[in-house]
Amino acid sequence: MRVILKTRPRKKPHVPIEAEGIIPQNFLRKNDLTVYEGNRERNLEDLFFVTVEGPAVSPDQVEIILTGDTGRIKRVGEYMNAGRIIIEGDIGMHCGNFMSAGEIIIRGNADAWLGREMRGGRILCEGTAGDYCGAGYRGEKRGMRGGTIEVMGNAGDFVAEYLSGGEVIIHGNCGDLPGVEMRGGTLVIGGNCSRPCGNMTGGTCMVIGDPGELLPSFRRNGSTEVEFGGKKFRMAVFRGDVANRGKGTLLVKEEAIISRSGRDERL
Amino acid sequence: MRIEDVVCPFCGCLCDDLVVSVEGTKVLSVENGCTLATEKFTGDHRLAHPIRRTGGAWEKTTYDDAIRETAEILLDAERPLLYGWSGTFVEAQTLGVHMAELLGAVIDNTSTVCHGPSIMAIQEVGHPGCTLGQVKNRADVIVYWGANPIEAHPRHMSRYTTFTDGFFVKSAFRERKVIVVDIRETDSSEIADEFVKVTPGGDYAVLTALRMIVRGKGDLVPATVSGVTREQLFRVAEICLSARFGAIFFGLGLTMSRGKSKNIRNAIELTEELNRHTKFTISPMRGHWNVYGSNEVFTWITGYPYAVDFSRGIAFYNPGETTSVDLLRRKECDACLVVASDPGAHFPRACAEHLASIPTVQIDPHVNATTHLSRIQIPVAVTGIDAEGTAYRMDGVPIRTRKLFSTGYPDDVAVLGRVYSLVKEAKG
Amino acid sequence: MTQGILIKNAYVIDPLSGIRGEIMDIAIRDGRIVEDALPGSEVIDAGGCLTLPGGIDSHSHVCGTKVNFGRYMSPEDMRAGRTSRKGVMHVTSGYSVPTTFGNSYRYSTMGYTTVLEGAMAPLEARHTHEEFTATPHQDMLANTLFDGNWSVMEAVREKDVKRAAAIVAWTLAAVKGFAIKLTNPGGTEAWGWGKDVSHIHDPVPYFEVTPAEIISTMIQANEILRLPHSVHLHCNNLGVPGNFRTTLETMDLAPPAGGDRQTLYLTHVQFHSYGGTTWRDISSKSEEIARSLNSKPQVVIDMGQIMFGRTTTMTADGPMEFKLYMLHHNKWSNHDVELETGSGIIPVYYSRKSLVNCVMWAIGLELALLAKNPWQCLLSTDNPNGAPFVKYPEIIALLMSRRMRENEREEIDPRTEHYVPLFALDRELDWYDIAVMTRAGQAKAMGITRIGKGHLSPGAQADVAIYPLKPDNLDPSVDYQQVMAGFSRTLYTIKRGRVVARDGDVVVEGANSTIWTRSRVPPEYDMGSDPEFTRKFDQYYTVRLRNYPVQDVYLPRGVCIETEAAL
Ligand code: SF4
Ligand SMILES: [Zn+2]
Repeated sequence: MRVILKTRPRKKPHVPIEAEGIIPQNFLRKNDLTVYEGNRERNLEDLFFVTVEGPAVSPDQVEIILTGDTGRIKRVGEYMNAGRIIIEGDIGMHCGNFMSAGEIIIRGNADAWLGREMRGGRILCEGTAGDYCGAGYRGEKRGMRGGTIEVMGNAGDFVAEYLSGGEVIIHGNCGDLPGVEMRGGTLVIGGNCSRPCGNMTGGTCMVIGDPGELLPSFRRNGSTEVEFGGKKFRMAVFRGDVANRGKGTLLVKEEAIISRSGRDERL
Repeated sequence: MRIEDVVCPFCGCLCDDLVVSVEGTKVLSVENGCTLATEKFTGDHRLAHPIRRTGGAWEKTTYDDAIRETAEILLDAERPLLYGWSGTFVEAQTLGVHMAELLGAVIDNTSTVCHGPSIMAIQEVGHPGCTLGQVKNRADVIVYWGANPIEAHPRHMSRYTTFTDGFFVKSAFRERKVIVVDIRETDSSEIADEFVKVTPGGDYAVLTALRMIVRGKGDLVPATVSGVTREQLFRVAEICLSARFGAIFFGLGLTMSRGKSKNIRNAIELTEELNRHTKFTISPMRGHWNVYGSNEVFTWITGYPYAVDFSRGIAFYNPGETTSVDLLRRKECDACLVVASDPGAHFPRACAEHLASIPTVQIDPHVNATTHLSRIQIPVAVTGIDAEGTAYRMDGVPIRTRKLFSTGYPDDVAVLGRVYSLVKEAKG
Repeated sequence: MTQGILIKNAYVIDPLSGIRGEIMDIAIRDGRIVEDALPGSEVIDAGGCLTLPGGIDSHSHVCGTKVNFGRYMSPEDMRAGRTSRKGVMHVTSGYSVPTTFGNSYRYSTMGYTTVLEGAMAPLEARHTHEEFTATPHQDMLANTLFDGNWSVMEAVREKDVKRAAAIVAWTLAAVKGFAIKLTNPGGTEAWGWGKDVSHIHDPVPYFEVTPAEIISTMIQANEILRLPHSVHLHCNNLGVPGNFRTTLETMDLAPPAGGDRQTLYLTHVQFHSYGGTTWRDISSKSEEIARSLNSKPQVVIDMGQIMFGRTTTMTADGPMEFKLYMLHHNKWSNHDVELETGSGIIPVYYSRKSLVNCVMWAIGLELALLAKNPWQCLLSTDNPNGAPFVKYPEIIALLMSRRMRENEREEIDPRTEHYVPLFALDRELDWYDIAVMTRAGQAKAMGITRIGKGHLSPGAQADVAIYPLKPDNLDPSVDYQQVMAGFSRTLYTIKRGRVVARDGDVVVEGANSTIWTRSRVPPEYDMGSDPEFTRKFDQYYTVRLRNYPVQDVYLPRGVCIETEAAL
């Protein structure tokens, strides 16, 4: 089954839409889905032109296509457990919250909290992602726990905060403090960033580009070789964050370390 | 008439020992208060009556009309924002929250531009704190980090820390060591025993280095960290470790610089680490008078200290998403009620511009920067001068303000109560 | 006020009136129980269902600085239970530390109409009272903290019991408190230096008084003031393996009762009944504690039961919370209050897989099963420390059903039975025991029967709970699921003569009272004009003496119990 949701023009296009109902399992049976525009409850049809093509007997046979002005739609794919969602443009915050299986493909950019507290499945974002990509919720001790998030462009600050499992791959640059409070899982940063892995206690983070300034609380622990994007890199291995009794692993390019060794006497 | 033990309505120190002389509805003098207090008590710019903008010009309107129109604006909106609350008392803040839950509005307070990051950090690691008297009576080490009390909280040092004698600190000046950490010299750094100058944006790393030293991992600390030498870091750690009771106070220099909430988290974790060796506490220097009261009220009614979104009926909280600055920057709101604060003066330009483009109503005694962005302004009595109610000091101690005299102005509760009744009526 | 209510066919258990389960009618008028209903009264047919006086919680943390900080620091707990505004109901959030309305509505639908806040710091009393008015379905009372009060400790050092009594009288009246609470007496002051006391004869730094001296002096002061409640004590060494010795020694400090109520109330005794020397060999000492309790009618305790799952611990016991933090390394808040007391908060998870937690779980139940007299062991979880109060129905069911305990035995750490006597206990409590342990016993221990709390005789306050449970055709030892469900949701909760909740729904906004005490003292004992007291106040507090007392506006429906001090 293919469900095509095309946004209708709105009087107040900046008012966010909350649409946690847009997940494959909800389209199996014809039901009256509602979404919220600000504080008003609306029928799905009030905000979208809805086209349904073909049948489906289980959610994994459902593919949802979102098109139009979708950058303000929040919580699409929340608790999704099968099937696929394709977003042709940008998507609002909290796309794929708590997702446990299935696939979300975003052709444009994703706003903050992409894949918040994700448990499984896969998210691919072809554009950029906002802050807190693959992170958790305020006050919780665990962020994303499983699955994969791959972002082809850049991402904002605090990527993979409290990462506890699964994998986050950012091909471009990250902002400040990626992998902060990380305790498990894997974070790969293809580009640059600053202050990776502050306060980390577990997991592995690898920075292929320039890691910017490193925090003083990581202890050098040999070298290793890794492969990323078909190329091999010689990486310096650090363990930390020792300020937090941490046992995480941070890999940064050996050359990036050498180029700054004048400033950093540990090396 | 001389009125004693008056509570200052200006900053989060909530000094309650002011002596104010009044004649009729005029304040003649203020004793004990700092200059900020005197200004607050004697300042005018009070708006005489409700005003309403038609076309480009202001015109006088009545309380009845202004209140009715305010209710209509809020009821019409799909994403109304109720912002401010730090300059008013708890009873008014309570009404604001109840109104927000009924309207499906976002309600937020001035934490969004000051100690919101501190709250987020506390939600990650907790908060080892104390009341200010505990510091006054016991502390032999005081740390001001990213804060300049002499300017922003002029009596903080003389009432609670550096210059006041306490039960176990008979001669404060001699017995208390003061450490100031900042990115530049300030009036406060002048009087410090140890001034730690950090390169801008470098606080996080300095805090990390201190935590390492306290934990016995100082061997890893490089020659300098964010402009601070290894020697000084060790010296500071040693001062802290040999304190009998240490108290850290931090300000916007830490909350609003690079790393934001993570800076505060790091400072809190340093405090926790120090508690394994001696006694240490940490406290935010809350600025806006009763902002802490709004955090408390929001919390006991909704569960969250600020940035609470009721658009889905239940309370939802997520700073960065439901915080006023972020909402306005993204132009989400289609109406705004501003109570007892001045976002026009404190918000980034884009936010102020959006406020000007939507129906914004201000409830405030004074003509201020927000007036220029508003469609309606309703003047009220000033809490702590001609209105009374509860305010929470920066350390959580609640004090009831005094009313010095009556003017003809209604207080915030009177005005908000009427708006709330209209909203209730409309919502059935 | 309405015409009144007539409850017909109620299966009434009213221990204070000696009614142990009789089908009868209850008439209500003007908020009170009366002999005969007015014609035209609203009739409620209870249909033989269990009808009890409104529930009373004699130790719970629901309002004030520390509780609100528990909320403030826990958005993850807030999202665990949220409802929107609906009719007369405000929004609610939270599971272990719900918002004030959340607490109030949940207590109300469980039939609770009176709650004592377990710990109020005098300096921050105004905050507690503000939250009381936002807890509209229950009458509220505040235990007032004196554990680290400098003036009291000085009086203790001078062996001046009368002065200690005068300070208590002044403070309770100033902050509109109800009773004397001591939390880890002396320990909270030591915590001002990052230290603790480890024994009841261990002197407090600088003040050189011992916890035992503080406790004994305050017991005497309490009796001098003739306060309705006794000293309400959270013993030293909470949560420390081997602490049962401290608890036994503390119980020995309670002098024989003069009147009909206890001289010492020990709270959350489960946390104080541990044997062993470390967390590795911790064991239950409930039998020793119960033996002492059974021989001392002058002591009343509450259980402090823990239940498995997630909760938040919060207490004025600052040093204990820090020790707990070092064990869990999650988040930790602390809040010392100048010249008075302290507090700490950390979130915890009690797990069936943790032997220590299983032993704790067993101890609470054992205390209730081993206490011969239900009036001496009241039901509590020290909400939310042992578990949120919504777990009370489950605890009731466990106490009433050995079978349920056996089922639970299968789920917990199998080693537990080597460390606890629980599974050897056959006793199953009956409906009457439960009625005592959840309302009548509380009313008696708190001394509030005199204002019509905890019973249903004519003149009493019309606080009534009707549960969908028919004791005549229900065997709690088998039908424990039904017992649990029944106590979770009343058919009717009636508060001061008004139906406030029905079938789990809150039907009125509510308007509660705050109950406080004032002891009249001769003028020479009025601390407000004592030169030494006021001089020290001005010098060391950061709030002016005149701004300290809680003004009457904070108690819109205050009920003052006045006593004549024997000074
Ligand atoms: S320090 Fe703050 S509270 Fe005190 S007098 Fe000055 S402005 Fe007022
Ligand atoms: Zn307690």
